[in-house]
Amino acid sequence: MSDIIENYEADKLTLLDCKKLEFKKEESGYMTLFYDEKIYHKVNLTRLQPFYEKDKFVSVHIEDEENQFVEIGVIKDVNELSDGQKKLVKGFLEYKYYMPEITKIYSVKENMRGSLFVKADTTAGEKTICIRDWYRNFKLIGGKYLYVCDADGNKYFCDDVEAKLDRKSIAAMEMFT
Amino acid sequence: MNLKTSFPKGVQKDSLLFSLPYDLTTNGERVDGHICITDSIIDVYLEGRVIKSYPLDGFSEFKCEKNYGSSAFTAVKKSGEPVCICVFRQQEFLRYAELAKLLDFYAREGKLITETKADEPTCEKCGIPLDGNAECPFCAKKSKLFLKLIKRVKPYKKYFIIAVLCTIFEQFVWIVIPNISRLIIDDYVVPKNDDWQGLILHCIALVGLVAFTCIPNHLNMKCSFKVALNMGKDLREDVFAKSESLSMTAVTKKTAGELIRRVSGDAAKLEDFVTTNGKDLIVDMISLVVLIAIICVMNFKLAMLVLLPIPIVFLLVDKLFHVMAKRYTRVWRNMTEHDSTLHDILNGIRVVKSYGTEAKEIARYTGCSLKAAKASMRAEIAWYLTIPISELIMTVGNFLVLYFGGNMIIDGGLKLGELIQFTTYVSMLYDPIRRAIHIPKQLADAAVSASKVFEVLEDANGISEDEHPVELDIRGDIEFKNVYFGYREYDPVLKDISLKINKGEMVGIVGHSGVGKSTLINLILRLYDVTSGEILIDGVDIRRLSQKSLRSQIGVVLQETFLFDGSVLENICYAKPGATFDEVIRAAKIANAHEFITKLPDGYNTRVGNKGYQLSGGERQRVAIARAILHNPKIIILDEATASLDTETEKQIQEALGRLTKGRTTIAIAHRLSTLSGADRLIVLDKGRLAEFDTHDNLMRNKGVYYKLVMAQRQTTKMKKA
Repeated sequence: MSDIIENYEADKLTLLDCKKLEFKKEESGYMTLFYDEKIYHKVNLTRLQPFYEKDKFVSVHIEDEENQFVEIGVIKDVNELSDGQKKLVKGFLEYKYYMPEITKIYSVKENMRGSLFVKADTTAGEKTICIRDWYRNFKLIGGKYLYVCDADGNKYFCDDVEAKLDRKSIAAMEMFT
Repeated sequence: MNLKTSFPKGVQKDSLLFSLPYDLTTNGERVDGHICITDSIIDVYLEGRVIKSYPLDGFSEFKCEKNYGSSAFTAVKKSGEPVCICVFRQQEFLRYAELAKLLDFYAREGKLITETKADEPTCEKCGIPLDGNAECPFCAKKSKLFLKLIKRVKPYKKYFIIAVLCTIFEQFVWIVIPNISRLIIDDYVVPKNDDWQGLILHCIALVGLVAFTCIPNHLNMKCSFKVALNMGKDLREDVFAKSESLSMTAVTKKTAGELIRRVSGDAAKLEDFVTTNGKDLIVDMISLVVLIAIICVMNFKLAMLVLLPIPIVFLLVDKLFHVMAKRYTRVWRNMTEHDSTLHDILNGIRVVKSYGTEAKEIARYTGCSLKAAKASMRAEIAWYLTIPISELIMTVGNFLVLYFGGNMIIDGGLKLGELIQFTTYVSMLYDPIRRAIHIPKQLADAAVSASKVFEVLEDANGISEDEHPVELDIRGDIEFKNVYFGYREYDPVLKDISLKINKGEMVGIVGHSGVGKSTLINLILRLYDVTSGEILIDGVDIRRLSQKSLRSQIGVVLQETFLFDGSVLENICYAKPGATFDEVIRAAKIANAHEFITKLPDGYNTRVGNKGYQLSGGERQRVAIARAILHNPKIIILDEATASLDTETEKQIQEALGRLTKGRTTIAIAHRLSTLSGADRLIVLDKGRLAEFDTHDNLMRNKGVYYKLVMAQRQTTKMKKA
């Protein structure tokens, strides 16, 4: 194990110092990062646990000239960033992981061909979500996180069905999860 | 595909070549925007106003990138600066992907194609993606599902008709019997008639009729089972054949457990449904009509007492169908999960044992098993709660008939025999109704299975055979012409690959991980079809070749060899079932496998175990090479064939491979570049494109991508040695 550390430092997790991070939104729509006297262009952010920790453990990375993944480091908690930086980072993550939250389920109907129609209230308004292969795309993860992916690939969620959905909503979805 | 679906207000539509909406900002806010493209400008509109304009010829590349919850239409300026033109939710993805393809072609070739030949990606009626299906799965009617099932009876219609006729005949006999009973009671028993001869004749007729029904009954059962079992067999075979012919894209979407469940479990359930219900359903309907007509003619008032509760029962049945369908769908889901978990754990039994996680896996399996049992229990409990209620509603009429019928006898308006005959018909009438009550349960269960079975049968993502496939005796020339390929059409893994491999040449493929090396050989094997361009073998497009002809002349040796659970002999013979034992031994000798096989206790009859785990990695590999040698292919593909072996074994296998590839067109992938020292030329892939294609010496002299790879590998080797 010590050899591996010595040679490759493979297990070293670079946690980024939130005070030194300076993201900037470019005219091109991409983000640039100034960190430790270095500039990184076209920076990408990835939630390492998109289901459970939306603001924690966010990987900051770029692609080098060879299109290879290069991780600059990991932000342990986005909330430790300054207000301006936090807004920028959260905005980027909001766009990349655009996912309306389900707040109420009115009905769930199946058409007996593996497709499901979920009439629900979401943070993006009321809609009927059409789901294909529903046994894959409408499921409870870890017993309480409702994951929904519609026929177009849009995703919806409810991070705690027991706490956030009413009884009727739970009864409507129960048969299918 | 329509690429002018939405326009900003006040914009002249005629001048636009493309116009698509977008609905997000890079901060995740919802907006109303449009991308409008003319032959020279890309205009970005936000809330009806132009916020950015780009010259169309100012870009070198266009792309459509899929994120987790959104997508982006991006480009790279000629100066190298990347630009994110707009972002949107996923429903616009396929159209933007097509647009990016057309504009990227313009950026590369300077030719702007404005009409795309791509199919409309969504259903015209509901706007949902068709995803390769000919018919929209959302708009398809449920009744079609059962029509498809009924159509499958067609090859056995003769037996089906015999079964139906026999059942109708049986039903007719059972309708006649109460009539004879009535005659016996009213003409002989009640008036104490001493015409013994008449009485005996009636009794003989009664017994005779019952005995006679044995013949149609036997015929009926024989034909019914013939239809149902054959239909089940056909379904199983069709689902299995379709699963085998599905493209790799479609296969990878489903777990092995799920496919097994569809081939065996679901097809068996449909078979069972047809056996118990298919024919009886028709006969029951006929019986119901005939019996209702008879009791109405016999005594209309009494008949009404019996018939009035029946609509309530049917209303209940209709409501029940939806409830039961949901519950059985859940059962199906849990059973599939159970099967997949079981398959997964048993397949990984070596890993489980080596990490000592048996208890954890037992708990995982028990959890799945418990969930499946609970779901089944909930479905059954719901069902059996409703049975007593419906039974009560239905039989109320019977009590009323006895009360009013009894009164009629006392008043002299009805004879005893007539009442007995009437009540017998009423009991007979309740039988089909009782069965009809069970129909929602069975129908719901069967509908779930039917939907799963037809989902596989109607999957449109297969590799299709040409209408007139060419049977080619392959010589071994392979040519790639401007080949583009992506597992997702919009995300190419291989771009613009053009190269020619000559007959008998040995060519190595090198490049970083994920650069598309294995994809390239998957395309030669036609496990996938190219997105654009063509692959020619001896000048013939491989899409025109019969798949059997193509694959029977290509031999493959992979890093992870798969051996079937059978003997060594059976595994070597897999590629050539009719091979003589002499040929097998010769192949094993060439593959350096004969020696170790001889040392095995049962020689060539030694069972290799599940996936060949009784043998070592090197031994399995040599059996695979022997199999390929016996196959006598014209083209050989080696995908990291010696990657996981020790030096000594690798030497033996290299020797065997040398014999196998002699004089044959060979394409080899190897991570260790030294393994490809025998290659005539090397294909060097970089970022999905063909970077170099030349001999080792020339590539080293050119100091390009290959040179860097070799140097990097030498460095790593040195580090390891140090």
